Amino acid sequence: MVNVQKVTENAKTLPDVVVARHYAYTCSDPGQRMIEDDIRQYGIDRVVIAACSPRMHEETFRETVARAGLNPYLLEIVNLREHVSWVHSEDPEKATEKAMDLVRMGVERARLLEPLQKKKVSVEKSVLVIGGGIAGIQAALDIANAGLDVVLVEKSPTIGGKMALLDKTFPTLDCSACILTPKMTEVARHPRIKLLTYAEVESVSGYVGNYEVTILKKARYVDEDKCKGCGVCATKCPVKVSDEANMGLGSRKAIFILFPQAVPLVYTIDKEHCLYFLKGVCKICEKFCEARAINFEQTPQRVKVKVGGIVIAVGAELFDASQIAEFAFGKSKNIITNLQFERLTNASGPTHGEILCPQTGKRPRSIVFVQCVGSRDRRFNEYCCRVGCMITLKQAILAREKLGKDVDIYVCHIEIRSFGKGYEEFYRRARDMNIKFIAGIPSEIRVEADGTIRLEVFDKLTSKLLEIQSDLVVLACGLIPDPDTRKISELLHVSRSPDGFLLEAHPKLRPLETVISGVFLAGTCQGPKDIPDTIAQASGAAAKAVNLLLSGEIELEPLKGVVNEELCSGCRICEFVCPFSAIEMRTENLNGAEKLKAEIVEALCQGCGLCEAACPVKAIKIHHYTDEQILAQVRAAYLSESQLVRE
Amino acid sequence: MSLTDLMSMAKPNSEMRERTLAKIGKREFADCFQCAKCTSGCTAFKLLELKPHEVMRLVNLGFTGELISSEISWTCVTCLKCMERCPQQASPYYVIMALRNLTIEQGGKVPEAYLNAVSQILETGFMQAVQKVTAKNMETLDRQKLGLPNIKNSAKTFKATFLKALEEREV
Amino acid sequence: MKVTVFWGCKILTSQYAYEMSVRRVLPELGVELVDLREMHCCGDVVKSVNAFAAKYMAARVLALAGETGIKELLVPCSRCHFTLSETQHLLRSDTNLREKVFALLKDEKLEYPSDVRIWHIIDLLYDAMGLSRIKEKVKKSLKGLKFSAHVGCQIIRPSIIGRVDNPENPRKLNELIRALGAESPDYPEKLDCCGSALTFSHQEAAFTLAGSKLKAIQEMGVDGLIDSCPSCHEMFDAKQEEASKIIGKKLSLPVLYYTQLLGLALGMKMEDLGLHLNQSPVEKLIEKSGVHS
Repeated sequence: MVNVQKVTENAKTLPDVVVARHYAYTCSDPGQRMIEDDIRQYGIDRVVIAACSPRMHEETFRETVARAGLNPYLLEIVNLREHVSWVHSEDPEKATEKAMDLVRMGVERARLLEPLQKKKVSVEKSVLVIGGGIAGIQAALDIANAGLDVVLVEKSPTIGGKMALLDKTFPTLDCSACILTPKMTEVARHPRIKLLTYAEVESVSGYVGNYEVTILKKARYVDEDKCKGCGVCATKCPVKVSDEANMGLGSRKAIFILFPQAVPLVYTIDKEHCLYFLKGVCKICEKFCEARAINFEQTPQRVKVKVGGIVIAVGAELFDASQIAEFAFGKSKNIITNLQFERLTNASGPTHGEILCPQTGKRPRSIVFVQCVGSRDRRFNEYCCRVGCMITLKQAILAREKLGKDVDIYVCHIEIRSFGKGYEEFYRRARDMNIKFIAGIPSEIRVEADGTIRLEVFDKLTSKLLEIQSDLVVLACGLIPDPDTRKISELLHVSRSPDGFLLEAHPKLRPLETVISGVFLAGTCQGPKDIPDTIAQASGAAAKAVNLLLSGEIELEPLKGVVNEELCSGCRICEFVCPFSAIEMRTENLNGAEKLKAEIVEALCQGCGLCEAACPVKAIKIHHYTDEQILAQVRAAYLSESQLVRE
Repeated sequence: MSLTDLMSMAKPNSEMRERTLAKIGKREFADCFQCAKCTSGCTAFKLLELKPHEVMRLVNLGFTGELISSEISWTCVTCLKCMERCPQQASPYYVIMALRNLTIEQGGKVPEAYLNAVSQILETGFMQAVQKVTAKNMETLDRQKLGLPNIKNSAKTFKATFLKALEEREV
Repeated sequence: MKVTVFWGCKILTSQYAYEMSVRRVLPELGVELVDLREMHCCGDVVKSVNAFAAKYMAARVLALAGETGIKELLVPCSRCHFTLSETQHLLRSDTNLREKVFALLKDEKLEYPSDVRIWHIIDLLYDAMGLSRIKEKVKKSLKGLKFSAHVGCQIIRPSIIGRVDNPENPRKLNELIRALGAESPDYPEKLDCCGSALTFSHQEAAFTLAGSKLKAIQEMGVDGLIDSCPSCHEMFDAKQEEASKIIGKKLSLPVLYYTQLLGLALGMKMEDLGLHLNQSPVEKLIEKSGVHS
């Protein structure tokens, strides 16, 4: 541990230091007041605080210093916690020496700090929400109800996302569509929400408060304003296509809506299967449409909008079970995923809510659920999908309720993770319904020549190797990032974590924001989660967005780069290295010759310093992190007092 | 040592745990989270009751002694199914081989055939002696009669280096 | 194509039919076989005694192969193939192991080669030669015959180090059989192990495993079982009678090495392929096929 007394005494000996103190809890009220009093009393014009990370309290102390009349950027924080006491606890003596050195370096830098001012910038009081699942819907409603405008973009023909495909939701067994569709219609009717479905974000430029977004509205070949959603076209259409909403268990037509409660209730023509687009024939939908809404000549449209903030809510996908070959997905129609099972119990699914084996159409006499398919598996995704256990408990309970006592229901698991409110009670409910939990995962699932499905699983708790011959096998697949996540991350310069989901600014303290100002995250695009957590995160992201934009202006930190135009040679190296696309080249007419000069777009600049380092003629300086300031610290670290030369 | 197995009154042996770890090139057996997928598909389970997941857990806890005295490590068929399908990419197969090595180091019971094989390697470089075979017509044949080339035996230096290698205790 | 060959203990000291059929058949397809200057065990059985010594032995084999300057090494025994591949894989990443092994090789003035490609019969024929080359050389089609393929364990697992075929759906041996005109249906026991490793310590269990698989295949009504590893072949062929006694069921299934079957389709003589050494009833198969009329 650091000997603070010694560090303080040593600080007193440094040139130009007029007062040095140590105090526990300097960030508290009395501590801050002590600093203010000292500034006034001693006519101080630079302050060095040696304490924890600047990420903790730099803002706090800047305000303290400002209250005492000093420019808040004439403050230097020296980190004695993360840089010393947290990492050098085995050698207190050396740790104290290091602390003294760091303080000395801080003083040398403080000497060279310059006063800076924050800048105010006006912002658009509107938000773009990308993704029309429950996360996007919730965020859009909260933002719109707070008085800001919303543009909600959804790539599929209807909003609703995965939640619209579910049957009942855990642990209340609320009907998913029943709790979702009122929100969907609210979105459609909300005067502040502009809903763009069958549309994708094509490009984004600008900066926080002033984003310019181009959205591509794909061609539905159906006029949205004319279509009444009557559905006659679909009854006449001769083409049957495997139904993505039913996870391949059912079929739809080439002109379709994804489900009956679609919002907007507008049909879409699937160009890849429509006979007119494939062979130039048919057009029977057009013939029968009384609203004259079919338009085969329709072209994609580009819509440009200006928004102040962006909420990303692009959701997640189900893991592809065929990747785990030993589980034989694809070798029998009776080996299905949890989402396919969801469609079987759903009244608007392919079997009208009856649980029937896809292969035979008969009721199963036995069902086996296999957990963690594609999750907690280092060969595919190491993370736990968080919802697999609860989905299976729900499905097992529904199966018992619908099929009665005579069906055998088994759950092969590693653990049962029922962590949320009401979840443990839900687990007990399942156990009380004679659903058998087996503590073990099968090594493989075998499909015999006559279609019989058999698996062997070792139950750790009874030490028995059990053979289960099951009519239906449900693979509890985990969630993976939506395939468009990568595209979105590149468009918005938002990173992804190693698991592929979008990266939050801080996993504990800032789970709804990204490191890009004005861009927020909601829902499963940031990581797999259930509906309560999704809605909580979406409302939180909405609040952050509203908080940012409601006043109509924001303040920008002045810790940005600035180009000395006289020195700039127009080489464009800085433009090339900037990770935030914050450097633009301007053409200047100087003495009759056209010269390129670099200009830093302040609102985009994050002050990372790459341009400063890369510039071959040293034409760029980053305010508050100039070369001179940093080199002063370096010299102070290595040179003795007599060797230091101060300008 | 704070832990005791109340059935056998045995205490875990952390030194043996470390030695096992060293023998598998430090590939962590603690990664095993006991899903028992390996045992569910273990070729040797039905006939010989080998439970790879149990081996992993016992080794991690330090109960190598009971594993060595039970002689269970010799029941592994080396089919490698456990290694292939493990969601933690752990390898019960390597741990079981390490237990075999430890058994020999500790002077535990070893099936004779393995020791004979090693002696044979020291003598001829192969794990068994060159054999004569009987054809369907009852004729006895050997390599020469079958027109196969002579075996080119390994250099004398092989034996000495092999003996040296046998003294290494880690992988 | 020129390859060095590492035969391993079982083939050189007892499974002569495999060596005979490989030496006959591969040159027909344009593969020149070069023997290593020294032959010894790959270290497989030593793994159970001292894993490090086993690594040294495998590295020594690879060093001998590298010495010839030929980059392709054919290893017809599946256990040797795994041992050498596994060692090669570990030596790439484990610097500690590398140091120790290389020091021992240096004692013998041997150098470890970084770029030897290890082949098995199955992938050499399927990937390097290709099915079309085999098809065009077939003189006596095996049409009308049905064979079960036993690809075994150690050439398809563990897939993370790169093996010869897909670990859950190996197809190559089936396709190689079909290239000869015969059928090769799948069966649920396809991935079951022959049990040969257990013959060192648990004879009864070993023969139960082999016997159960033979029984299941026999019940399919196929004309034979095709394998490509001397350990598997020894269990299914030489020990068929013993397995039969252990499981209490009469077994009478012809068992051949793929290279023997290939040789038959290429019109070669039974004796040249070592078929007179197979203990299982291959005569009835040869009679049915009519390849020697």
